[in-house]
Amino acid sequence: MSEKALLTKDKQTSNNRATPSFAGSLSSFAPPLLTFIVVIALWEAAVRLFRIPLYLLPAPSQIIATFAERPGYLLRIGMATFSNALAGMAIGCGLGALVAAVCVRWRLIADGLIPLSVGASAVPIVALSPLLGIWLGAINPASKIAVVAIMTFFPTLVNVYRGLIAPRADALLLLRSYAASERDVFLKLRVPAALPFFFNALRICATLAMIGAVVAEFFGGPQNALGVYIKSQAGILRTPEAWSAIIVASLYGLLLYGAVLLVERWVIPWRR
Amino acid sequence: MQPSTTQPIIEFDRVSKIYSSGAGAVSALHEVSLAIAPGEFIALIGPSGCGKSTLMRLIGDLEQPSSGNLRVKSKTPEQARRDRDYGIVFQSPVLYEWRTIRKNVELPLEVMGHPAAQRSERARTLLNLVGLEDFGDAFPHQLSGGMQQRASIARALSFEPSILLMDEPFGALDEITRERLQLELLNIWGSAGQQSTVIFVTHSIPEAVFLADRVVVMSPRPGRIERIVPITLPRPRDFETRESPAFFQCETAVREALRTVERGHV
Repeated sequence: MSEKALLTKDKQTSNNRATPSFAGSLSSFAPPLLTFIVVIALWEAAVRLFRIPLYLLPAPSQIIATFAERPGYLLRIGMATFSNALAGMAIGCGLGALVAAVCVRWRLIADGLIPLSVGASAVPIVALSPLLGIWLGAINPASKIAVVAIMTFFPTLVNVYRGLIAPRADALLLLRSYAASERDVFLKLRVPAALPFFFNALRICATLAMIGAVVAEFFGGPQNALGVYIKSQAGILRTPEAWSAIIVASLYGLLLYGAVLLVERWVIPWRR
Repeated sequence: MQPSTTQPIIEFDRVSKIYSSGAGAVSALHEVSLAIAPGEFIALIGPSGCGKSTLMRLIGDLEQPSSGNLRVKSKTPEQARRDRDYGIVFQSPVLYEWRTIRKNVELPLEVMGHPAAQRSERARTLLNLVGLEDFGDAFPHQLSGGMQQRASIARALSFEPSILLMDEPFGALDEITRERLQLELLNIWGSAGQQSTVIFVTHSIPEAVFLADRVVVMSPRPGRIERIVPITLPRPRDFETRESPAFFQCETAVREALRTVERGHV
């Protein structure tokens, strides 16, 4: 009986470790938040103290004031850009995961494709934007979506492939000893093992997607889009307007990243 | 050595296993012959490289012999594997981290297409058997190493295989947990309706003697059977078994056989 008590205690302690307390998460949030506030305050103080001209660097208070003048408009054009990011990411990550699955089935394809895809992460794919503009139409959102799709395809392919081949020999032999089908090996072992890798890829791609969508619009796009707005406002030295659009872009980027984290927690409960 | 007149469940007839690597061929097993009776508990012991794990893996069709004849239940090992004749326990628990303990125990039944109700019933029985009834909904990382290995034993037993292959299952555990699990394993093995045949690979002399009906002492380069030591200690065995003079005699017999192995190859 004492053994049973010991086991229960064992579980409780490990449970405590698994779920961080509210105070714990607060203490991990506080330092970055504090740093953020300090940086903003220093920025504000520097602009006022050194009388930095508006066109060079507006103070945070001016940026916020500019944003507050027409928040609806900025959020709406932000939404247009955000939709491109989301659509591109869905296509890129979806195809990446699919091709990774094909690579596991036919290793010969993997041998050729995976090293290339690792190399592709060193290629500034966003530089393709003008060309994609020519192929798909500079104003057409399809050209922006394509940039994001290409940017997110390769990291997803590489990560998911690594996840699918992550199971160790013993884990595979176990299923072999049950005379499991290829399908069971894939669905009951490879796919769950790859899920953390997939979400790792999604986190990388969430940041890439918003960058790709905004930068692609620098090379042309519909009037009501974030990248176009930032470029045109900066072009006529209306920097508070440009900055407020940049903040909107950051907000959407954070939103995407946060959404991925939330889904990850829900889909992968076995990881703390 | 083989006392029974019944048909052996596992029969090695001059089985050899040669690994060819870039550096040349390594003979892991050389013309091994061994007959194992149904319900027997066999411990395989020997220095590393003696082929004891290879012997076990050949039975389980995880590897194939290079020559000789190996029959499992009068079938090829591959057919036996397809018929799901054996459960396997590795040195590491190999639990799937995304499954709860209960779902891990149900995994073989799931693969074999048992209905859900039957699976959960069976999982409950087995978790009770290994003392994990309160941990069915826990994830593996929440359990200690000993508890994880219990779960993997429950998983191996879930589909009532007639042969249990255990590759140093307690090798990574501390001495206290290890002795407790040895006893639990014997209790589980003894309580099963029709007794399964166990092939147990180990490095530990007391472990081999405590568990087995026969201890197969193996020697390396090339791997072969040096001697088979019958263990006549009465069953059921318990903690007191370890303190009996007969236990020491058996230990000594195995130790001397192992020393012969060392002498021949140093």
